[in-house]
Amino acid sequence: MNAALPFSTTDVTRTNRRRESIVRALLGIVTALLVLPLLAILALLVKHGAPALTLDFLLSSPAAGMTAGGIFPAIVGTLWLVGVSLAIAAPIGVLAAIYLNEYAGDHWGTRIVNLAIVNLAGVPSIVHALFGVGAFVLFLHLGTSILSASLTLAIMTLPVIIASTKEALAAVPMSFRQACWVLGASRWQTIRYVVLPNSIQGILTGVILQVSRAAGETAPVMFTGAAFYLPFLPQSVNDQCMALSMHLFTLSTQVPGVPEALPYATALVLVGLVMSVNLTSILLRSYLRSRRRW
Amino acid sequence: MVSNVSKIEIRGLRASYGDRVVLEDVSLDVHEGEILAIIGPAGAGKTSLLNCINRMSDMIPGMKVEGSIRIDGRDVRDFRDPSEIRRRIGVVFPLPVGLPMSIFDNVAFAPRMGGMRDKKKLAELVERCLCQAALFDEVKDRLGDLGTRLSGGQQQRLTIARALSLEPEILCLDEFSIAVDPVTTMKIEEVIKELKQRMTIILITNLVLQARRLGDRTALFLGGRLVEVDSTETIFSRQTADVRTFQYVQGLFG
Repeated sequence: MNAALPFSTTDVTRTNRRRESIVRALLGIVTALLVLPLLAILALLVKHGAPALTLDFLLSSPAAGMTAGGIFPAIVGTLWLVGVSLAIAAPIGVLAAIYLNEYAGDHWGTRIVNLAIVNLAGVPSIVHALFGVGAFVLFLHLGTSILSASLTLAIMTLPVIIASTKEALAAVPMSFRQACWVLGASRWQTIRYVVLPNSIQGILTGVILQVSRAAGETAPVMFTGAAFYLPFLPQSVNDQCMALSMHLFTLSTQVPGVPEALPYATALVLVGLVMSVNLTSILLRSYLRSRRRW
Repeated sequence: MVSNVSKIEIRGLRASYGDRVVLEDVSLDVHEGEILAIIGPAGAGKTSLLNCINRMSDMIPGMKVEGSIRIDGRDVRDFRDPSEIRRRIGVVFPLPVGLPMSIFDNVAFAPRMGGMRDKKKLAELVERCLCQAALFDEVKDRLGDLGTRLSGGQQQRLTIARALSLEPEILCLDEFSIAVDPVTTMKIEEVIKELKQRMTIILITNLVLQARRLGDRTALFLGGRLVEVDSTETIFSRQTADVRTFQYVQGLFG
């Protein structure tokens, strides 16, 4: 009898071991497959876009009815949109998150606010775009401008900035706050000198990830401030601008006779921009881990 | 020195979280310059009492406090800013909390928050507090290291040094030895005996024998009520007023 021998291999353990290796292989394969779409997209973009990707392409304006030339105004426009929307959304989002996490208790008022934030995050970007047209372009008379488009992008990114900031703040142990309070430090002193210094990298990571989202969205800027083609660069937030995402849409669907390489190269620049922003956030996070202080 | 002047007068104290009452009808005096040991099982209300005294109860959502607590004759709820009281009461928690900053900054934190900027004065203060907490010799060469990287016993002494940085009149130790080895516990007990010369000490402890070693008087709490408070000698004799006290200190229950 097997049972008489301790540590002998039984049929049950053999079956379990076999199942274990099957499940493990299955899960591993599925995970590895996730990398494929990204690699395929990149390969496609590089294959078709790389030939057109020259310094001249990056630094000149579109020419010959958008069928030649470069994308310089679109790059500049995207930087404007991302910069202005971030300048609006980041401070508001971070301050609101500080209030929600550090000051507001758990009662019906804050529950409604939290519910609103979660739902706002789930609103499709085209709905944000229509709201932007109604609220900023028409009602506030801001016209189609960088300001209108940036405000629309800001509203779209706000809920996620609030959520990620709250998470970063909540990761600071409660015991640190209590230790400060019993020493007579006020709530604000505790936040300023202990909570924020130990969550700032996490907050920045969350904010930076929203940069890449704002850079890639087309719908919210399409009706509120991004133009098909502008012969000049924007001088202020009241001007319209071109945008990479919008330009890609235009080249692909609105203009006949565009050489194939142009939209691919534009997409490559956009993806490269987004990926380098994400890379920054990953580096920031690993830096944050390396200097964790507790 | 021990006197019969009351430093803290607690009268008819009741504390609750929603429907859950954690302290009921507690009246207790803490005398100037004594060590009052508070013993009792978990859930007896010992820590809640501490939270009421330094008004940390303000920071706990849903905690309600009734009755009166007077420090030097003044009700703690008359202070508009609770940090005024907290600066007069040093607190040491059960689990050591090194703040995520240097050892020096840990001790200098509270004085700085109080507006002290003079570097020389701060340096003196930090050294004095670390000495009083019997930690200075172990860390004097690395005051710039992170407080969170110290061992548990060292962090607990760092917490004590931090609690002393405001030169408090009252020091509350809440089960300080729970995460500390016996040798460090003995070191800290010596520190407490020293500090008694200068301040009133409330020592909450799970270790009955620790109360016996250190307490001038000892109070027993059970289920949110004060059972008995008397000189430590009496509490640990056969002459206790309440039979439960005798049973508790003899280890017959709880």
